[in-house]
Amino acid sequence: MTEITSTSGVNITQKYYHQIIIRGNGLEKFNNIIEEKTSIKPPLKNLEIKYDSNYLFGKNSFDQWSLILITKKDHQQILNLVSSINTNENMLASDYSHGQAYFEIEGENKEIFLNKLTHFDLREEKFPKSTMAQTTIARIECSIYNLGNKFVITCNKSYEDYFQKRLKDTALLSNAS
Amino acid sequence: MTALRNHNCNYISNVKINFKFDGKSYFAYEGDTIASALLRNNIRLVGRSFKYHRPRGIYTCGIEEPNALVQIISEHNEPNTRATIKRVYDGMVITSQNRWPSLSYDFGAINNILSPIFSAGFYYKTFMGPKGFWKNIYEPLIRRSAGLGKPPKNFRSKSIHQNHNTDILIIGAGLSGLIAARKFVNTKYKVLMIEQDSFLGGILKNSNKVDTINGLNSSEWLEETEKLLSKAQNIKILRNTLVTTYNFTNHFVALEDKFAGKKIDLNKSELTLHKIRTSNTILCNGHIERFISFRNNDLPGVMLASSFEKYIHRYGVVPEERPVIFTNNSSSMSLLNSMLSLGCKPEAYVDSRKNEEIETDIKKILKENNIPSYFEAEIEGCDGNKKIEKITIRKGKIFIKIKSSMLCVSGGYNPDIHLFTQSKGLLKWDKNIASFKPDTPFQKTLTLGSVSGNYNFNKLCDEINEKLSFLNTAKLDFEIKLNVSNKYSIKELWETKSKINSNWSKSFIDLHNDVTIKDLKQAISEGFDRIEHLKRYTTNSMGTDQGKISSINSLAVVSKLLKKEISEVGTTTYRPPYAPLSFAAIAGRSTYEFYDPQRKTSIHSWHLKNNAVFEDVGQWKRPWYFKTHDKETMHQAVQRESKMLRENSGILDGSTLGKIEIKGRDALEFMNLMYTNAFTKMKPMTSRYAMMLGEDGMIKDDGIICKLSDQHFIATTTSSGAPKVLAHMEEYLQTEWPHLQVYLNSITEQFSTFNISGPKTREIMRKVFPNIDFSNEAFPFMSFKNFDYKDTKIRIMRASFTGELGYEIYISPKYGLELWEEMFSCGREFNLIPYGTETMHLLRAEKGYIVIGQETDGTVTPIDLNYNWMIGKNKKDFIGKRSLSRPDTSREDRKQLVGLSPINKTDTIEEGQHIVELNELPKKIKNPIKYLGHVSSGYYSPNLNHSIGLAMIRGGKNLLGKKFFVTVSGKTKNIPVEVVNPVFVDPENKRLIS
Repeated sequence: MTEITSTSGVNITQKYYHQIIIRGNGLEKFNNIIEEKTSIKPPLKNLEIKYDSNYLFGKNSFDQWSLILITKKDHQQILNLVSSINTNENMLASDYSHGQAYFEIEGENKEIFLNKLTHFDLREEKFPKSTMAQTTIARIECSIYNLGNKFVITCNKSYEDYFQKRLKDTALLSNAS
Repeated sequence: MTALRNHNCNYISNVKINFKFDGKSYFAYEGDTIASALLRNNIRLVGRSFKYHRPRGIYTCGIEEPNALVQIISEHNEPNTRATIKRVYDGMVITSQNRWPSLSYDFGAINNILSPIFSAGFYYKTFMGPKGFWKNIYEPLIRRSAGLGKPPKNFRSKSIHQNHNTDILIIGAGLSGLIAARKFVNTKYKVLMIEQDSFLGGILKNSNKVDTINGLNSSEWLEETEKLLSKAQNIKILRNTLVTTYNFTNHFVALEDKFAGKKIDLNKSELTLHKIRTSNTILCNGHIERFISFRNNDLPGVMLASSFEKYIHRYGVVPEERPVIFTNNSSSMSLLNSMLSLGCKPEAYVDSRKNEEIETDIKKILKENNIPSYFEAEIEGCDGNKKIEKITIRKGKIFIKIKSSMLCVSGGYNPDIHLFTQSKGLLKWDKNIASFKPDTPFQKTLTLGSVSGNYNFNKLCDEINEKLSFLNTAKLDFEIKLNVSNKYSIKELWETKSKINSNWSKSFIDLHNDVTIKDLKQAISEGFDRIEHLKRYTTNSMGTDQGKISSINSLAVVSKLLKKEISEVGTTTYRPPYAPLSFAAIAGRSTYEFYDPQRKTSIHSWHLKNNAVFEDVGQWKRPWYFKTHDKETMHQAVQRESKMLRENSGILDGSTLGKIEIKGRDALEFMNLMYTNAFTKMKPMTSRYAMMLGEDGMIKDDGIICKLSDQHFIATTTSSGAPKVLAHMEEYLQTEWPHLQVYLNSITEQFSTFNISGPKTREIMRKVFPNIDFSNEAFPFMSFKNFDYKDTKIRIMRASFTGELGYEIYISPKYGLELWEEMFSCGREFNLIPYGTETMHLLRAEKGYIVIGQETDGTVTPIDLNYNWMIGKNKKDFIGKRSLSRPDTSREDRKQLVGLSPINKTDTIEEGQHIVELNELPKKIKNPIKYLGHVSSGYYSPNLNHSIGLAMIRGGKNLLGKKFFVTVSGKTKNIPVEVVNPVFVDPENKRLIS
């Protein structure tokens, strides 16, 4: 974990997670295989997420899921899991562990803060807890996961430096709003 | 003519501050605007008009100000600031604009003398000829004299954007806005209320019209309301924020001045641009008073009546003790009351209405206070030198001259319909208020209070309750008691007749753009009888002002001239923004270092340390070339890198290459359809250079396809083409071939990629990966293998884009930098060098390899490139197959890829130049010159010691050995070249497969 910045009512940290992107048809067999391989039932509803202290599992679209593994693991374990899923002909799992950057935004003003960087409607009724979305933040494509007390944001690793700077800059300029 | 202070005003503090206007120091009180402060100091002349440079003063007390635009020197030279809005602070430095050498003595005022020639359509008529004058004389001259203030320089704004999503947006926190907001207190609705002033209250603070609300005096009610709203969790109020734009659908732009009345802190954002999306919009933005056109109605000292009153109540300054009041409606009663309560008596009261039309209350006040009154009379005009000195009243055939320095004019009220019309809402003419008012909304828009044309305070609560009933909010009842009559009556009066027929005396219809009544008449006489045409011909109601106080007047004047009803003439379109926005606010933080998002590879820090010069490829920062010392030029660096690589070895950071993982039962069929190549017989763990076409048969992208199995592939794409290729594939899977079971993932970011090549590459690879057999037999060209590397996997592919022995290494970005450094550590003894994209381009051109977007331009087929070998001829189908057999794509004279070699080896072939048959171009080209093709790539080859080129030439395949000419930029003499095979280096591929 790296502390990125904090401003009134907002705390931003960078995390280092593993991630696997899974594609498939989402039917029963698919769900059973995923559960068998990961011990987690994949979310069934579009944009729904399931999470606990070990993982964060989101359904990105009708045939795509992102499994973020929060607890530290050996990379080989992740690659083994990917290979294991890929033994199934009609599923594709790709390792996204080190190609993504992960940020957590917490605090009572996290919505106001993020809305300086994105037009996305973060109101509870439009973006409820335990859902995710793919949108642009600071003009780059991101996934955002609503965990209630915090947002987890992932973006391509190549934007990491730019995104960090934008977060810091926004915190610095957030005067009394 | 001395301004007085209204000590009853509580909204201005007693703290004195100082500011400078045109170099002189003046005082103000905290809370003053520039305008109120200047009036407090008896400054009447504030600026010069746009076209005629006529002296202008403060006309209004708000955003509608057409005259008092100033430059704020102490705020990075911010120009065209409305003095009536901008709050003054201690140490503020302000100058007037559009004058030289000084405001009092402006050389530009000569335009006023020459004004007869600057009539409507002057530009259109005058600058027609002679030929060449426009570019060399007219345009530079007009550009130099155009504009008012000077743009700021050397200023790095820190303005930010803030997005909002809300249920209810209330624009305007005046009386109707506040009542509406009270209905939403502690409801389920999320409410955002926006007020352009730093205070809430609107008319409650700007006049003494309202006495009590529910038994509380207006200030007590306001205090109670503010407390109530501030406690409500669901209501947020933005002050000092002006809504400028109403877009589709219910999307707004508003600008907040974060330092209103304060000196800007350069470390903080001075402006916030709010972008608001709402479910329902409630416009409570009130009304704007309009003026009346008469002779010299622009002289400093002419001011709108309600603005005069606002200065008294809002800013505590009485601009003039004895002004003349000129009106055509009942609203001036309030001003009369306000002045008399302070012991000030107007010099005269002029009302165009007949005696019997004028309210008894007004007549009573006038009589009781012995105010000279002129009913059924009008102002003929004003006279004075840079300010009003004399006012002429016409009553019947009698002219009365009065000495006064101020004239308060009220031509009635216009609902402030700008935002409503921006939303595409429709208007209708209301004879009772003699103005247009909102009729049919186009979006979810409600209008409340005077913006809806309701000037009756007693009907305000009913209107609000009724219009908001669909939101199921509680009914509120407020009893509003007034100090003035609640009845609003008006008699249409748009212009008065001038008795003086002089070119220097003008009756203005648009003060901001210097448009006169005479201009309108002239335009109509010249046939511009449609209001939109007339607007553009005369510039009436155009520009940043958008005719706030004048547009309805001009419509009325035009309707009279055309002998039509105003409703028939219609309105022009009020365009956003309502008031000017600075470009800095619009750009927000998307400037300088954040102008465009930047993508960096995992090796970026190494590149920086090793003097890489970067080029932008999409948003990627890619090393262009590496400098060995500060004085090394790009040419020298690229020549050095190219030679070193061909002699030893070089490594390129190719992490930006697009990578797509393709897997599924039907992956083989999918790949056969997507690419021209045949993949069926391709062995697993081998790779192939492949080409992707559009349905028109033209090349879209290329890359290397790695086949893991018939169900699993990895495709690389060009760096900038990766997202497009993935979207292209997904689109076909979802729309054309939904029966195929194939899944795709972008894995561009999941691998750092290095391309190492050169004759000594194998030795370096053996040293870095001692356990891997890199022999030709074990690791042939276009094969790939996966290996364990620490806790991850590494994929190595035998491929090359330089024509040398080469490998591509794919590794997790976690270990990218580490492995890169290891490669250099092992490669030092073999003179391994890093090279950039420019060297890559040179090397691949020497080998005749194409680059998508350089040799191709959306009109090139694989056959044009002589890449027929890439087309799977036995394949049943692939995207673009049918188009390749169209007569046009199989023409012999299509532009085809060839190489060019200069006859004279010291000549340089430039990229982008034309290929022609002439050795010299005529100095003046009268007839078209036969064009054979163009140079798509041109480099100086350090390995061949002369310039080389790749070119697309008509029928090029059959022209090998022919001699043509290549044009040279800026010269007429062309250079002779020979058409050659595009592969300049190692045509036998000995190096490649060594």
